[in-house]
Amino acid sequence: MSSIQWPFRNAQGIAGSLKSGVSERVRRWARKRQGADPSTTRLRPGRVYILPTGVGLVFSIMAFAMLLGSMNYNNNLSFVLTFILVGIGFVSMHQCQRNLVGLELSFSGAEPVFARQSLRFGIAVTNHSRNARHGIRLYCEGAVSEVQDLQPGESRIFVLSVPTSSRGWVTLDRFGIRTLFPFELFRAWAWLHMDVTGLVYPQPATHPPEPPPTMVAHGHRQHDARGEEDFAGLRKYHEGDSPRHVAWKAFARSGQMLSKQFAGADTSSQWFDFEEIAEADLEQRLSILTRWIVDADRTLEDYGLRVPGHEYEPAHGEAHRRACLEALALFDEATG
Amino acid sequence: MARPRGTDGSLLSSLPWTLGALGLSIAPHVPYLPIWITLAFFGCAAWRYLIERRRRPLPSAWFRAGLALVCFLGVLGTYSSISGVGPGSALLAVMASLKLLETRKRRDQFVLLFISIFLVMSSLLREQFLWSLPYMLGAITVIMTAWLRMSASPSESAKRSFATGGRLLLYAAPLALAMWVFFPRIATPFWAVPIDSSRATSGLSDTMSPGDISSLSMSNEVAFRVSFDGRIPEPRERYWRGLVLTTFNGRSWTGRDPEISATAREQIRVAGDPVSYQVTLEPTRQQWVFALDIPRSWSLAQTFMGPQQQLARSTPIDQRVAYEAVSYPEYRVESDMRQVYRNWYSSLPANSNRRTAALALEMHAAALSDEAFINAVLEMFNKEEFYYTLEPPPLGSNPVDRFLFDTRQGFCEHYASAFSVMMRSVGIPSRIVLGYHGGEINPLGGHLIVRQSDAHAWTEVWLEGLGWRRVDPTAAVAPERIDYGASDAALEGLGEAWGLSAPSEFLHKLTMSIDVLNAKWNDWILGYGPDKQQGFMEWLGMDDPNWRKMMLTLIAVVVGLVMLISVLLMLRYRPPPKDEASVLYMRFIRKTGLEPVVGETAIEFEQRALRADTLPADAVTSITEAYLDSRYGPYRAPAFERLKVAVGSIV
Repeated sequence: MSSIQWPFRNAQGIAGSLKSGVSERVRRWARKRQGADPSTTRLRPGRVYILPTGVGLVFSIMAFAMLLGSMNYNNNLSFVLTFILVGIGFVSMHQCQRNLVGLELSFSGAEPVFARQSLRFGIAVTNHSRNARHGIRLYCEGAVSEVQDLQPGESRIFVLSVPTSSRGWVTLDRFGIRTLFPFELFRAWAWLHMDVTGLVYPQPATHPPEPPPTMVAHGHRQHDARGEEDFAGLRKYHEGDSPRHVAWKAFARSGQMLSKQFAGADTSSQWFDFEEIAEADLEQRLSILTRWIVDADRTLEDYGLRVPGHEYEPAHGEAHRRACLEALALFDEATG
Repeated sequence: MARPRGTDGSLLSSLPWTLGALGLSIAPHVPYLPIWITLAFFGCAAWRYLIERRRRPLPSAWFRAGLALVCFLGVLGTYSSISGVGPGSALLAVMASLKLLETRKRRDQFVLLFISIFLVMSSLLREQFLWSLPYMLGAITVIMTAWLRMSASPSESAKRSFATGGRLLLYAAPLALAMWVFFPRIATPFWAVPIDSSRATSGLSDTMSPGDISSLSMSNEVAFRVSFDGRIPEPRERYWRGLVLTTFNGRSWTGRDPEISATAREQIRVAGDPVSYQVTLEPTRQQWVFALDIPRSWSLAQTFMGPQQQLARSTPIDQRVAYEAVSYPEYRVESDMRQVYRNWYSSLPANSNRRTAALALEMHAAALSDEAFINAVLEMFNKEEFYYTLEPPPLGSNPVDRFLFDTRQGFCEHYASAFSVMMRSVGIPSRIVLGYHGGEINPLGGHLIVRQSDAHAWTEVWLEGLGWRRVDPTAAVAPERIDYGASDAALEGLGEAWGLSAPSEFLHKLTMSIDVLNAKWNDWILGYGPDKQQGFMEWLGMDDPNWRKMMLTLIAVVVGLVMLISVLLMLRYRPPPKDEASVLYMRFIRKTGLEPVVGETAIEFEQRALRADTLPADAVTSITEAYLDSRYGPYRAPAFERLKVAVGSIV
């Protein structure tokens, strides 16, 4: 949040600070006036704001100059031209505002990402009208979406790609929708204050220590008619794995040793324990755990996670991965 | 140095429209622009288009800077100034050409479109023909389409952009009309208007040198149009008084010696019925205001009657003006003709045109009175071998002598000059009046068209007890010139010269129809000035119109229209109509007493309704089935009938 700071460094700083100060105040006023928005919000006319753009200002100065010229030359045809341009100004103001009014916005979710990746908030915009909407763009602090047109009845997802720096919930307090259609003389926009959140996992450590050793539990083998086991996936090579099971083709491609896993074969599991990492820094520890989980998830190894206050039994799969990473993302030492 | 980047073809969807807009706005300037500017513009436009098509790089900054320098020096060299419509539009055309060569991004085209709007504006300052308005509307439609193309998404077709541009213009049209009608017009400009000297207007010259120019302009350009309130005067009465020439130097007549004549008191007495009429005078860049002999009142501001009953405005007429006037064809002008004035009005330069003077003295001696002498001179013109021609031979020095004794061919100026010199030779005060005579009635519009070719010169002589009397010597030579007017006489001559008969009936009618349109156009569109506006406001029911009232009306009307447009736009964006099947199905949903859930399909709702058991199960299934069939099934019409019956049974 920007605020006016003293002393100002230079004149531009003053203007800039004043401008951002004023617009911040206006935004807060709008927030107070509109209240929080439900998850699906249709834009009422009363909350679509409009102001002329720079092009619009140049256009109005030109129209004024042309009016003076027409009056001076007493030329009725150039009066016609001038007034057509003024008329276009009025019409495009209303057209610009109407281009937004009645659009329906709803938050369609954001896939969790790792810190320092961009969190992609998807916002669905639906045009419930008989006429196409042109040049619609969504924006928020630090991101703008693509410009898209919406045909009658059409619904499109606009993506706001917000850069992240640290783990935890990221909330988009406010985002906007705007349009310059038709002639870029006016900018119409609306601010929305929806419950728009996305989760950021810790950044996976780049040079993690070796993960704790794997414990192998012998499963009971199930042979099918041909005596072959069902191939179930790949996991990281561990000493003691049969060379027969090494995926040599994959090794030739990537240089990484992977073992083929078969259903009903031996299962191995790892425990990743927060307390057992020899690292002082909390974030660093979480980073290491994140890296281990990500790596373990690529293989078929079961893994469990132990952080103060939580314990996740060794398991595998998308839901398990999400649960573990979420625990790391939201880990709080105090409450932990 | 960075390697020049090629263009990426992203302008291909909008550039042709921008080029079209520029081309349309430059086209009306082409006849006035130096040819190199036109060539430079079209060259740059074609070049820029090819660059974009072939994705070549733009010309280098050094090349562009050099070209800019050359072009600006060229404009300065051609016009030697940069203010005024001519140099201004040349500069705009040059700027457009140069800007084209550095237009890389789509938004750079804004500048080009602003330039084309200014070019349209300056072409309107230059000429306002009947077709200028539709042309301007076409140009502005293309400009606005180009404007839309600039920011339209690539999937938007040009046709759709054109339709959107046209629709927005259509909305703007009533607003523009309201502002045009109610915006208060002012009579006087804020600052001096630079006159575009490249467009010369034909008018009357304030000197007359018969014999110097050997042919009279036969310009068909309209000098003024007149609509009469009642009776239209006979052709022989239609003398449109302009300026009066009083001084002769042996070759030329001038009116530029006002010192003595200004003090002579002349009194006008009128009799008979007045003629009232309205004149729409085309710009002349001169002060003369034309009225039927002899005007008693006129509505044009800052216009005064000179000592010889000529009307002049204190500022030159550089725009079309309209005025009402009342004239009396029967009049007498009395004058205080003391010796000093008598001498001045009959003064001739010494040692010039001596044979004429000798002839005049001889004829005057033979005549019994001044009137008889005048008649004798007119009879001489009529009976002897004098010819009326528009292309007389040149006369050299002592033009009157040469005309009267050698060539004997001339038009009104020659006869008026010769007659006046003869009068002055015997001491009869005389002067020459320049103006127009005759004119053609447009049968469709009922107005009189007076053309430049109707320009005429006649004389006035002062006779004791009668005052200044008009004498038209041309009438003695070519009575048909006075009875039918110069144009008809000339047209006949033209026809003979080309071996043709008079122009066809159809062509004449067409010319007359276009003239009526032009007259209305000038009258109502171009001539909508302070007076017309005042009249129109009164007609609308505004008492005592002033600028404040008009401005308030303008604001009220514009606000009303803008609200109307807003409603129109709201209707355009209203939700699409619900089909009847959905309406029936909604009725069924309400009847179940369940809340519909967003995203729920009809099948899912059916399951829920069956579980809720608020309606008979067979009704629920048959309604759902009929609804789905009527929306998606192959036989929708019968399914819709089933739905109607089924919903009807539960309601």
